[in-house]
Amino acid sequence: MASAPTSKYNSHSLENESIKRTSRDGVNWDLSEAVPRLPGETHVADKEVIYICPFNGPIKGRVYITNYRLYLRSLETLSSHWHFEADACVFQDSALILDVPLGVISRIEKMGGATSRGENSYGLDITCKDMRNLRFALKQEGHSRRDMFEILTRHAFPLAHSLPIFAFLNEEKFNVDGWMVYNPVEEYRRQGLPNHHWRITFINKCYELCDTYPSLLVVPYRASDEDLRRVATFRSRNRIPVLSWIHPENKTVIVRCSQPLVGMSGKRNKDDEKYLDVIRETNRQISKLTIYDARPNVNAVANKATGGGYESDDAYHNAELFFLDIHNIHVMRESLKKVKDIVYPNVEESHWLSSLESTHWLEHIKLVLTGAIQVADKVSSGKSSVLVHCSDGWDRTAQLTSLAMLMLDSFYRSIEGFEILVQKEWISFGHKFASRIGHGDKNHADADRSPIFLQFIDCVWQMSKQFPTAFEFNEQFLITILDHLYSCRFGTFLYNCESARERQKVTERTVSLWSLINSNKDRFKNPFYTKEINRVLYPVASMRHLELWVNYYIRWNPRIKQQQPNPVEQRYLELLALRDEYIKRLEELQLANSAKLSDPSTSPSSPSQMMPHVQTHF
Amino acid sequence: MEFSELIRTGRAQAELLRGPGAPPLRGTLCVTGHHLLLSPGPQATSDLWLLLLRSVDSIEKRVAGDSGTITLRCKDLRVLQLDIEGVEATLDIARSIEALSSLESVITSFPFFYRPKGLRLGDAWHFHPPEHYYKRVARETNAWRLSEVNEDFSVCPSYPRAVIVPRAVDDDALARSARFRQGGRFPVLSYHHAPSGTVLLRSSQPLTGPQKRRCAEDEELLRAVLAGARPGARGFIVDTRSAQAAKQARMTGGGTEAKAAYPGWKRLHRPMERGRPLQESFVRLVEACGDLEQSMDRWLSRLEGCRWLAHVKEALSTACLAAQGMEREGACILVHGAEGTDSTLLVTSLAQLILDPLSRTMTGFQELVEREWIQAGHPFQLRCAHSAFSHARPKHEAPTFLLFLDCVWQLGRQFPLSLEFGEGLLLALFEHAYASPFGTFLCNSEKERCLCEVRTRTHSLWSGLNQPKEQRKLRNPLYVLNPLAIWPSVEPQSLRLWQGLFLRWTRPPEPSEAAWEKVWQIVTDKEKTEGSQPTVSASEPQP
Repeated sequence: MASAPTSKYNSHSLENESIKRTSRDGVNWDLSEAVPRLPGETHVADKEVIYICPFNGPIKGRVYITNYRLYLRSLETLSSHWHFEADACVFQDSALILDVPLGVISRIEKMGGATSRGENSYGLDITCKDMRNLRFALKQEGHSRRDMFEILTRHAFPLAHSLPIFAFLNEEKFNVDGWMVYNPVEEYRRQGLPNHHWRITFINKCYELCDTYPSLLVVPYRASDEDLRRVATFRSRNRIPVLSWIHPENKTVIVRCSQPLVGMSGKRNKDDEKYLDVIRETNRQISKLTIYDARPNVNAVANKATGGGYESDDAYHNAELFFLDIHNIHVMRESLKKVKDIVYPNVEESHWLSSLESTHWLEHIKLVLTGAIQVADKVSSGKSSVLVHCSDGWDRTAQLTSLAMLMLDSFYRSIEGFEILVQKEWISFGHKFASRIGHGDKNHADADRSPIFLQFIDCVWQMSKQFPTAFEFNEQFLITILDHLYSCRFGTFLYNCESARERQKVTERTVSLWSLINSNKDRFKNPFYTKEINRVLYPVASMRHLELWVNYYIRWNPRIKQQQPNPVEQRYLELLALRDEYIKRLEELQLANSAKLSDPSTSPSSPSQMMPHVQTHF
Repeated sequence: MEFSELIRTGRAQAELLRGPGAPPLRGTLCVTGHHLLLSPGPQATSDLWLLLLRSVDSIEKRVAGDSGTITLRCKDLRVLQLDIEGVEATLDIARSIEALSSLESVITSFPFFYRPKGLRLGDAWHFHPPEHYYKRVARETNAWRLSEVNEDFSVCPSYPRAVIVPRAVDDDALARSARFRQGGRFPVLSYHHAPSGTVLLRSSQPLTGPQKRRCAEDEELLRAVLAGARPGARGFIVDTRSAQAAKQARMTGGGTEAKAAYPGWKRLHRPMERGRPLQESFVRLVEACGDLEQSMDRWLSRLEGCRWLAHVKEALSTACLAAQGMEREGACILVHGAEGTDSTLLVTSLAQLILDPLSRTMTGFQELVEREWIQAGHPFQLRCAHSAFSHARPKHEAPTFLLFLDCVWQLGRQFPLSLEFGEGLLLALFEHAYASPFGTFLCNSEKERCLCEVRTRTHSLWSGLNQPKEQRKLRNPLYVLNPLAIWPSVEPQSLRLWQGLFLRWTRPPEPSEAAWEKVWQIVTDKEKTEGSQPTVSASEPQP
């Protein structure tokens, strides 16, 4: 009685049930004894440890390490007083389960030395890519820590030990093949391409024009392959402007590329200038091509020193350039680090909002969304075609084009449409997933790592919050994508570009994440989804309307109310099912007793006595 | 007094701008005794536009050339702009609105003239008399009785005529306890928690004063409470002031219950903001929400600086404390601050929502508001005289009731299925508390309502709201009866700004309304099919 409750008490009947029924992807309270195994997953070691749970204190358990996961089951059951805060009756006599794919491990450190005194101070501290840390205390005797450290290092960072990533060992079978989801020719055909102004080119068939681009590209009809080669020499890493999306009615387009190689001397390239004008002319109504440079102005200028730069007014008469002020991968990485600092293991309570503000995470989200809204608005209004680039055109550019496409084209808001969007704008166009995530790589401090894709998914989540009926998928879909961004169970996000994936025969040798999702779609469906064609979504990108995605970033904290499945979705589905059942029973009744039931429409009609006839504003 | 004396001009041509999303309206503007009317030209199809003058919080006029602009900031946080032809007309209309919107007389206010079709006077007032709640208590326990010691409001002017008290205490003792409590607010029953057999009481502070006076009848009353619960029951006194503030109150005649005088009772201090700081917090928040010009890079720290969410947290966690005491510790709880008409009611009403599934139903919640706020003597007229836009220095204004509604909204957000009513009802209560054509929120106490004959001469908001056509706006279509207590998370990341209220007039509402509409569709479909056969769904609550 002494302290005010600062905890949540989970006491909704539906909510309780959902905890018992479904496994939370990390910490799990379960009565079954079996350690889960995927086909192709093999046991490596098991050991008794003490798991230092930041929320419940030290718990003795047995850890099982396989070539895919670290799995811990507590040996003691949690007595209720440990879990005074949560609902005791649910957790009583249940074991604590930790189920962590080794792919999420970013760093393994030894803590404490031979002389360490205090209890549980000798062991391993594991930093994960998904906003949590795991600590295990081990006995000092018998090299137990060294053994576990080595086993974990070997299997969490297979690249350094010439071992295959688990995706290549995974033998899971699904009844749908996720690799078939994206077929570029079909997707461009859906967009009405090729047409009079745009053609499909195979110039990059063997990745000789640009090794980080897909093999199939859509370019202006009037630009010859020779033109494209000359433009490539003037664009960073040969990433030439190519079509991402075309408006079905006004035929304005979104084109993506990398920065022009202007350099300190302000170099120009006639072919590039002409090429941009050709793009503009694919739509006769527009007088200017709009260029959105995703970077802050100063960064774009600074890039000249390393040979890059931006399109100047003098050289590109028929273009207008705007900077979108989105910061680079290093800024985003540091921002997310600060978010982790205030949410894990303990949530910064006393100045929550100003602490959150000082991470700048939501501000970055706002800038990305604002940029995408501008792109979408230009195209949807038919005012201008848009060219988007940043430096290399594989981080911020991918965020902007994919988000704008999501706003413009309702197709991408379906489950398969979204998979195609990710497959197209991110995977095929060379977002460097391997470098940004560091799959199987032990170099945790690599400056190439950055949560760019996570930031994109966060933006999608913000949009889905603002438009609850516009997306076919639910929050669980987005979280599942993020979990397998790191897990290495599927081949979907492996490697930096299509050419590397082809060399490694990824589609033949690994399973696609979309196989898992599409074979069990119901779990990922938003019951409120209403299919709409041709509706452009403009989210409100004001700070007032953005929220921290608590169910993702703070999901490990048991005090955060997080229910999967979402009780509202669940209840809605129940109502739907109930209605269907009633309709069925009603039909049966009518059939059996058609004579008696002459008037089924007995819904009580509201009395006609009403409020005043004028529109009243109180 | 004649309203016509205050109306300076008959009519003028004007254009009304209603903020984003709503198209401007042109027409003839007209001021009447209680309303501002805009009637569009004869060719226009849209309805007459009508604004209750009472809902104007502040008015600002500007003239330029041969026209003028009036900006009306309303108590429901809406901002309206009127562009009026003619300088004289503008000034006259502004003066009329100013004079009419600040009239203080209750019996000339609009509710005394409002006669909607289809409602009969006096219909719904008897939905929730004190006897009604007492019947429920009496079914659960025999330890309490309904006392009419305050029948003529002489013992406590801010209490209703009947209150629920321990059976063992007679009316004389009550009257003496009342003299020992500020404003005569002696401890009365607020809620009986049948599952644990404990009770929630409320009162005002004891008048111990610097001499540490005692009152045998007051002590006897609290002793009887514990004895009535169960042998050996303990009690907690939740004082909504800090220990120091409570001690200081002795200098002005108030104070707290001395430990030795009340065996079995333990005092806990949970300081809650009230009065002017609360009003200022509200004003700052509304200012921040309406500030669309400034760069919003600092929005989060500005939101934090407003401290509104901190007040939400305080209120909810104090209510949790009281509820936890009853549910988990099996203790009786007495809540009071100083006067016992503000933060006290906030705590007792929220604690009931947490514990009592009946109070989360549509009728149960209306009864709760009626019993724990209106009849319990929350001075609505003083507290809600002005909302967040008034330029006048606040005298007695404080958004305590709005804070309550915000806390309820937070509960509804965290337990989306457990409340039978939706955001619509909370918004309606906010609007009507500040300005209403109904009489429900008029006056400061039952005594005043009695004097003004509010109950016989005005319509009740409850009859207005409970009409079938209002239900879709007010109910939560996903509701399922949840028999358990709902313990909210009060951690900062679990509490949100109530956008539906504070950003109501600046955000596009359609997307979320579409989802709501979809749920309604399915529920009404279901009910239709259900209605045509005799079976009743098991999930339907049976009151």
